[in-house]
Amino acid sequence: MAESKEEVDVLVQRVVKDISIALKRHPNIDEIGLIQCPEALYNRSPIVLVENKLGVESWCVKFLLPYVHNKLLLYRQRKHWLDREALVDITCTLLLLNPDFTTAWNVRKELLECGALNPERDLYLSKLALTKFPKSPETWIHRRWVLQHILRQFSAVAHKTQQRVEAEQPDAERSQFLGSHLDRLIHQEMKVCSDAACRYPSNYNAWSHRIWVLQHMAKGNIKVFRDELSSVHPWVSMHVSDHIFCPSQHQSNTVHSTCPQANGELSLADAACGDRITTVFKLFYQETELCADLIQSFPGHETLWSHRRHVYYLWHHWRQDQDLCTDGRENELKPTCINEPDGSQGRNVDRHKHVSVPMEVDRVSLPDHDSKRLRRGILLPNLLTLQNEHTFVNSILNSCCNAEQNNYAVAYKKWLDTVISAQSLDI
Amino acid sequence: MKLYSLSVLFKGATKANLLKAAYDLSSFSFFQRSSVQEFMTFTSALIAERTSVGTRASVKEQEYLCHVYVRNDNLSAVVISDSEYPQRVCFTLLDKVLEEFSRQVDSIDWPSGNPDTVSYKGLDIHLSKYQNPREADAMTKVQAELDETKIILHNTMESLLERGEKLDDLVSKSEHLGNQSKAFYKTVNMADSPATLNWIHAAATVSVVVFATFAGTETELLL
Repeated sequence: MAESKEEVDVLVQRVVKDISIALKRHPNIDEIGLIQCPEALYNRSPIVLVENKLGVESWCVKFLLPYVHNKLLLYRQRKHWLDREALVDITCTLLLLNPDFTTAWNVRKELLECGALNPERDLYLSKLALTKFPKSPETWIHRRWVLQHILRQFSAVAHKTQQRVEAEQPDAERSQFLGSHLDRLIHQEMKVCSDAACRYPSNYNAWSHRIWVLQHMAKGNIKVFRDELSSVHPWVSMHVSDHIFCPSQHQSNTVHSTCPQANGELSLADAACGDRITTVFKLFYQETELCADLIQSFPGHETLWSHRRHVYYLWHHWRQDQDLCTDGRENELKPTCINEPDGSQGRNVDRHKHVSVPMEVDRVSLPDHDSKRLRRGILLPNLLTLQNEHTFVNSILNSCCNAEQNNYAVAYKKWLDTVISAQSLDI
Repeated sequence: MKLYSLSVLFKGATKANLLKAAYDLSSFSFFQRSSVQEFMTFTSALIAERTSVGTRASVKEQEYLCHVYVRNDNLSAVVISDSEYPQRVCFTLLDKVLEEFSRQVDSIDWPSGNPDTVSYKGLDIHLSKYQNPREADAMTKVQAELDETKIILHNTMESLLERGEKLDDLVSKSEHLGNQSKAFYKTVNMADSPATLNWIHAAATVSVVVFATFAGTETELLL
């Protein structure tokens, strides 16, 4: 490199400042990127802003990154002092180039704790870093730390409100404000996670984060879980081989979380109990239907079969728990068939009639027909039986020619036989 | 599952002439899009050139699949998709596009046309509609078996080349690739083993290579 140390110093300081100014002046920047540019062509800044995308020309990285990296480490070793503003700028530049540099995130944690930095800034910075490095583990970890920091602040505020003898603001208003802030944060997290999951296939870190957010920030919030399920469905339909099956695990967790929540929310009156059970049935049924639909439309994706296992397993165990708890109340929910006598014979025949429909080319009639029944809360328990699962698998085996699909179907059948049947009390 | 590009070309005696193309590069990072688009054009033309008249083929390259149909009248279409997208729907799309194109654009214009002179507007609409294979192809079941027409499968781009031909040479001579894209390609293929061809990866991962190198060496020196 022909540049002298002084020239490099000047260049780098200018670039760090340029990045900081760009971010301040253009809060709509939503993506960062590297621009392939082996040499500096004109005497101008390597920081480029186009349509809310911030680009760094590649020629400057070999000067920039070692310099800021070194500076920060010297600060950490107390060999070089940096004031707060410089720290913010340097860590910002560093993390946009290399977000897995834990020390930089830790410096920002310190700044956050002493109040010199707004937590929202770090949520924004990590969101930008994730547009270029969607897997970066350190970024996700830092994001969770920041969210916990914000949650602690919330509960401190809520606690203070309770302690006040005469409240200046009515409690309801303040908690509503906090509630909507929390909702906004959750919504933002979901968006960041799904963007990262789209940018990088089978993005385990993104989906783990999503699960964490639901578990820690959306406790008891049924609406969030419901919205989650409905937003993940289309995603899963367009990413059928996202192989870590985190989306499916996420869906199962969401369904599962919704169940105990339903327990707490509704009363134990028989009618309400029936509603609760119906809601859960509906959820499981919808999951199974989605899975069946995707399995038939896109043969040969192991993820879909894994998801089916997951959902069925949860359903099976949930059902067994319910049987143990409700002891006998279930009888009121036993389905009655509309046109046939109440004998178990009739029900068996009807079950087969329904299950045989999926084998026809046009499955449109099944969902409509059954959705009417879903609304009336009858017939559901019989749609998710072991027998139906076997029938479904057999229909796949009979109709498909894709070798992989065949293997997955056979494996699923084996699983049903060995795992589920062995664990069944009686079906 | 995604479709990235859809193009119509005329397979001439020695090279394929690009007539019209549509791209959906929204899933690529912003600053890579122009290079990615150039590489996709380059690849589509190369594949059309190397596929025999009257055949269909699918060429796999990393996590991308390029599907081509060269008709008996030399009109060809190429679609580049990811590996999740159902193959059968791709070929349905290619058939449809070629049929529509040949109705709307006079065959006299095929050998010498280019995207500026050709006035076919259907590609963008088709590309957008077919992003969701089940919606676009509602009439026929997505997983239905492909008809008896054989589809040749290539596991890498290199299997399209003649003996002794190098992809590096084709890249450097290509008129579809700008200097920046050619520089991209060179950078990556020095870092990776010569046997691997990462044309899209060139655009997408060169930044990772750069950063990994610097982060790695610096931490060794300083910590």
